[in-house]
Amino acid sequence: MNLSKRVLKELYYNMILIRDFEDIVDKYAKKGYIPGFIHLSTGQEACQVGVMLTLKETDYKFPDHRSHGVCLLSGTPKEKVLAEIFAKKTGISGGRGGSMHILDIKCRNMGFNAIQGANMVTCLGTAFASQYNNTQDVTAVFCGDGTIGRGEVHEGMNIAAKWKLPIIYVLVNNEYAISTRVESVHSYPKNLSDRAWGYCIPNEVIDGNDVIAVYEASSKAVKRARAGEGPTVLELLTYRWQGMFSGDPAAYRPKDEVKIWKEERCPIKRLREKLITDKIFSAKELDELNKQSLEEIEGMIKYAMESPEPEPKDALKYIYAGREVEGR
Amino acid sequence: MRKLSFGKAINEALNQEMQRDDKVFVIGEDVAEMGGDFGITQGLWKKYGEKRVRNTPLSEAAILGIANGAAMAGLRPVAEIMFADFITECYDQLVNNSAKVHFMFNGTVTCPLVVRTVNGAGFHAAYHHSQTPEAWFLNVPGLYIVAPSTPYDAKGLLIASIRNDNPIIFLEHKLLYDMEGEVLKEPYTIEIGKAIVKKEGKDATIITSQRMVYLALEAAEELSKEGIQVEVIDLRTLFPFDKDTIFNSVAKTGRVILINEAPKTGNYVTEISQTISEEMFEFLKAPIKRITGLDTPTAFAPKLENYYLPDKKDIIEEVKEIVEY
Repeated sequence: MNLSKRVLKELYYNMILIRDFEDIVDKYAKKGYIPGFIHLSTGQEACQVGVMLTLKETDYKFPDHRSHGVCLLSGTPKEKVLAEIFAKKTGISGGRGGSMHILDIKCRNMGFNAIQGANMVTCLGTAFASQYNNTQDVTAVFCGDGTIGRGEVHEGMNIAAKWKLPIIYVLVNNEYAISTRVESVHSYPKNLSDRAWGYCIPNEVIDGNDVIAVYEASSKAVKRARAGEGPTVLELLTYRWQGMFSGDPAAYRPKDEVKIWKEERCPIKRLREKLITDKIFSAKELDELNKQSLEEIEGMIKYAMESPEPEPKDALKYIYAGREVEGR
Repeated sequence: MRKLSFGKAINEALNQEMQRDDKVFVIGEDVAEMGGDFGITQGLWKKYGEKRVRNTPLSEAAILGIANGAAMAGLRPVAEIMFADFITECYDQLVNNSAKVHFMFNGTVTCPLVVRTVNGAGFHAAYHHSQTPEAWFLNVPGLYIVAPSTPYDAKGLLIASIRNDNPIIFLEHKLLYDMEGEVLKEPYTIEIGKAIVKKEGKDATIITSQRMVYLALEAAEELSKEGIQVEVIDLRTLFPFDKDTIFNSVAKTGRVILINEAPKTGNYVTEISQTISEEMFEFLKAPIKRITGLDTPTAFAPKLENYYLPDKKDIIEEVKEIVEY
């Protein structure tokens, strides 16, 4: 696939935007501005960008817990994503969900369900609705290697295959479920996603830090799903630079391992070198994009910091459709 | 008025709602050609086809996952979980997803789905096919629980449930399916959250639901021969329960008995008892009593199962006790 200059620029820009976004979230979390759990996707930017750029706004997206990038690229005003993480009234969910639950029906970001595996069956429903309504909208569901241990994966993949549901499973294999290495608790042929064979679902194992490879594989899977040929599992091999959550020292991982992934396999560095070597963009042009990203982030922080907190009584809203709940 | 069985009344409600709104679909195990384990969806597959009457494998989590995703995408699923006991297999989807969709999306999305399921003891089906699950859901904001006792109420409440924008657990007692009663031919709704006074009385109030309504009425009949007038309230909607009807009756009688088939500890009716105690204490003339199943699983052998279940004698004894208190 020969990618246009425009697409390559978007792939690059969105990866650095996610990198900068995660850095800022980490920084402000550590400063005490952000309550709760934060799962950073630093190092996994290519998995999010490569898939998201192949989707349309009307496609359903189910991000996983390490998917700030997916939420940023869904079409939601980006400052509302950050404001949600900052627990502000102006957040996309009014501060109800935070980092783990950024959702927006307008651009069909169906949100992460913090029960790992739950989205592996909920995603059947949106895909079913696309078939039911005879639209071509696909459903992309992100999950980690840890989620593959859940029973819903089996129930979901079996039905998705049998009904030829338009689903793209994005299995982001970063080798660790918190501290547990994937091969230490799972049995599988060669690759984790080879299990898909048992459901007659094609799988593809891709270098998840090669954004062009992810983009190309995802394009194929999306095309297949839109054509009514059913689901695909994309297993993206990657690594999270941070611990399980912001503040986790991740002492369970060998230091050398982290170093190799950061220094030799950084998805952004890789694309940057390629773009310069292939003379598609100059270093100066790319630096300009880096600057633009920081400026964009600057605006988001300003919005999030200046936004008001929700009113306590907002907690009573939208429990039931058409029925009020009593407060204190 | 024409008579229909409880099961046929539900079938008619499904058929009429599917006819009215092409966003309504039925999904579950064996619901298509076979028409469901209890025959409740019979004829729908033939009329509406596989698109709208969809069989699934034994995958309750997936059934509720599909229902949730489809509801969020604008469809109106009616999911059948063959036995209420199997709801544990999709409990996560109901508790952590259906119930919270409206809240999570800050009011921009609703989750209009109905989970029809079969509950209740007395069928000699042992502990995995006999439970009554409302207490499992009572502590989960976002869910409604509906549990009719007559064919008329079953039809009207199911239609109301399908048209409601909240996720609703619709309980069908397996021993009521063959019961006949008058049912209007045309579609109609019964307001969710409204109880009905089945028999008026001044001496004590029995509050109950589903099959236990009939036991309460039989006991009330016998007690009336002894001059004790019992008021019997059929809750019809278990959550939100109808405080007005309950409080009006308590204000009149001052004595309350709550009946429910599930085990006693943590029983659903305890919430009603606590509510009465907090808000109607000055009207009470005697302690509020619960008549429930035992704190045991439901056993298979008829002798064991009957011992587990409340019976008419238990009700008569308890009413006399609180009337004489």
